[in-house]
Amino acid sequence: MLKMVGATLVVLAGGLSGLAVAGNYSRRPRELRSLRSALQMLETEIAYGATYLPEALSQVSRRCDRITSILFSEAAAELSSMSGITASEAWEKALVKYYQVTALNSHDVSILRNLGASLGISDREDQIKHLRLAMEQIDAETALAEDESARNVKLWSYLGFLGGLLIVLLLY
Amino acid sequence: MSLAGPSRLVPRQSVDSAVNEILPVLPGNVRSMIAALSGSILEKVKEIRFRQGKPLILGLSNQDIFLSVEGRPTKQANEAYVVTPADMERLIQLISSSSLYALEEELRNGFITLPGGHRAGITGKAVLEGGKVKALKYLSGCNIRISREINGVATGVLPYLLDGAGSIFHTILVSPPCCGKTTMLRDLVRQISNGVPELGFPGLTVGVVDERSEIAGCHKGIPQRDVGIRTDVLDGCPKAEGMMMLLRSMSPQVIAADEIGRREDVDALEEVLNAGVKILITAHGKNLAELIERPALGQIIRSKMIERFVILGRSRGVGTVEDIIDGKSMRSMGVKKC
Repeated sequence: MLKMVGATLVVLAGGLSGLAVAGNYSRRPRELRSLRSALQMLETEIAYGATYLPEALSQVSRRCDRITSILFSEAAAELSSMSGITASEAWEKALVKYYQVTALNSHDVSILRNLGASLGISDREDQIKHLRLAMEQIDAETALAEDESARNVKLWSYLGFLGGLLIVLLLY
Repeated sequence: MSLAGPSRLVPRQSVDSAVNEILPVLPGNVRSMIAALSGSILEKVKEIRFRQGKPLILGLSNQDIFLSVEGRPTKQANEAYVVTPADMERLIQLISSSSLYALEEELRNGFITLPGGHRAGITGKAVLEGGKVKALKYLSGCNIRISREINGVATGVLPYLLDGAGSIFHTILVSPPCCGKTTMLRDLVRQISNGVPELGFPGLTVGVVDERSEIAGCHKGIPQRDVGIRTDVLDGCPKAEGMMMLLRSMSPQVIAADEIGRREDVDALEEVLNAGVKILITAHGKNLAELIERPALGQIIRSKMIERFVILGRSRGVGTVEDIIDGKSMRSMGVKKC
């Protein structure tokens, strides 16, 4: 009896972790798309509105989805605190918090980190160039992420359960 | 009162608060050095000069001092804290709120107005386009000038400028640079706009063309200086164009502008005079004779349109009123050195 309960738990645990990994694969393209549209908004604020960066960031944070807005609202808060930090430092701090909650991988984050290094320190044209570059890179990552998710979501949802079963069989 | 919200409704009283206002835009290390200085030094600080690779200099009202590496005030240049490229980069980001792209016009003019109406002048390499300055890059020098408004400097002068019928005379303030012209103009604008009950003066609608953001010290379009309750400010606008814009759109009773001198300014001024709007302007010059010699401005003066000249100097310190001259008779009104 006890064995049966244990076996069920192992299968369940395997299955759930498989689903979690699968979930991550399907979240990533979604979040990348949301991030891209947020960067697009930031570009509009900078290029046409000439809005000051702290304001522009918080405007964007109010208009994008919950996870993406963490990056922008944190960066805006850090910058508006006037604690003497630069835009790239504020962006970096926000990225650390953002990375904890997002499904993005370290490569995606490094695209954002590169963008942060040039945020707010040059004229309009240059800012647009950097934002466009980041958006292009994110587009490329999105395409890859979609491919990956199409392949992996199914794989991992099965793999978890099957892995759980395998362990049960081996131990039984 | 200015429009900048409740925090600005109280006029600055303690002089230190002026320095405190600019602390947030200084890099952390310099910030703590300056914040640790004694009050007697802080209240005299007029400028903080950053030059990359050169000592950090505090310009006091009577002398220049350096800060040692530990933050002690010193007069020895070799002990002084030297501004590093990292300091410079951080400073530029902080004074621009990390938004250089939003300040292209300001960079072209070479200065940024900070919250509180203080100004940061910037030098670097000019980028030209069609022979005109398009932007500055390699920013390597910065001078933060702390502006302290002095309410009440115009109190002694104002009675001579009122025409007794609820309006003012056409007035030009004349002085060499650094004699408190702009401070005097700002306080006149404030008092004329608010009205002076003691003199039975009700207050007039004043339009200010603030080409160099010196009169109202606008930050993001909002005056940081107290320029009165009936004052409209066109910030960063060329004077000639600005005066015409105000004339057409805001129906001012008085138009004020700083440093009139160019031909087109004077042409616009004539337009304003003909429209029956009072003018309150400043011009560079040591005395009236020198002003009349000026090609553009002289013409208006000779036409006797201007009714009052206030000559400022520094014979008894900055902002001394040397003389007030009646424009019709060209005689002194018997006000000397107040």
